Amino acid sequence: MAKLYVSFENGNPEQVVEFDPSQAPFHHDGEPGSILDILLGHGVELEHACGGNCACTTCHVIVTQGMAHLTENEEEEDDMLDKAPGLVSTSRLGCQAVMAEGEVKIRIPRHTINQQV
Amino acid sequence: MSSSPIFTATIEKIIERTSDTRSFFLRAVNGRKLSFLPGQFLSFLLPVGGETLTRAYTIASLPGEEACFEICLNQVDGGPGSSYLFSRKEADLLCFTGPWGNFVLNQPTAAEYIFIADRVGVVPFRPMIARLLTTSGHHTIARLLYAAPQVGDLLYNAEWQGWEGQCAHFSFRPLVVGCEPEEYSIEKVLVPYVEQHFVKEARQHSRRFYICGIGRSVLLLRDLLRGAGYERQAVKYEKW
Repeated sequence: MAKLYVSFENGNPEQVVEFDPSQAPFHHDGEPGSILDILLGHGVELEHACGGNCACTTCHVIVTQGMAHLTENEEEEDDMLDKAPGLVSTSRLGCQAVMAEGEVKIRIPRHTINQQV
Repeated sequence: MSSSPIFTATIEKIIERTSDTRSFFLRAVNGRKLSFLPGQFLSFLLPVGGETLTRAYTIASLPGEEACFEICLNQVDGGPGSSYLFSRKEADLLCFTGPWGNFVLNQPTAAEYIFIADRVGVVPFRPMIARLLTTSGHHTIARLLYAAPQVGDLLYNAEWQGWEGQCAHFSFRPLVVGCEPEEYSIEKVLVPYVEQHFVKEARQHSRRFYICGIGRSVLLLRDLLRGAGYERQAVKYEKW
């Protein structure tokens, strides 16, 4: 079993999702086995305005531990992350970062960009 | 469920664009006008199979068409989101959040914009090019390369042609191969054209490319242009 620890900058209580990676996908949005897929499949909400297709940054998460347990970024994810508010070196898109083992801790930023004009 | 503000709109009109593509004209129930940047999308919350699907559809409206706004989409075989929308009728209600997205053109800065569209991927370019043509001077050139299997698959075809006739600094290049949809591919149509005209021939590094299309083949175009020396930020793309 793998564990995903989720903390929220908006003050919501921390959640821990324990899951069997071999059972992915858990939901229908995001890459199978991605952080987005894992969270949605276990009842933890994560914004994903584009439906989990790497077309926005609303599923931006900050990895605080266990980066090595996630698949590496592809160029497409990096291109999109460029536009994420509050970008840090351990930022990932929840819809793209696939977790196959171990324990990972993430933080959900308070803000996403809704570029209304 | 999204934690962002959710809006409700009425389907005011549905237009059949091609055999598998429709435009839905929506009006917010509270009279809210939709402010958006050209290229942005709305995120629809669709009740399908007992749960809520999140599906993004690009705004096709021209800047200024905020009261009754348009989305244009094709029906995807087996796609629950598009199938749900294609079963809707005029006067039905839809819920959405947004607008969202960073694949936008707001204030033009470059001398030459190349828009590369694959089938229904042309939709975000309608407001983008309209914005470009109305806000930039004659020093700005806009070109639209638009690939589709058949002439009848070219969305907004008359509009592109009309703009080309009216604006000396806009050119429209349809790339139609006359094949069946299943024989069509970006590799066969757009890649050779882009390679010939923007890679092998003189490269103008002031160009800005916007690419939009369906599937991972869009990334071939990105890699082709970046591999030819165009800067990363000069090659923007959206893959559906």
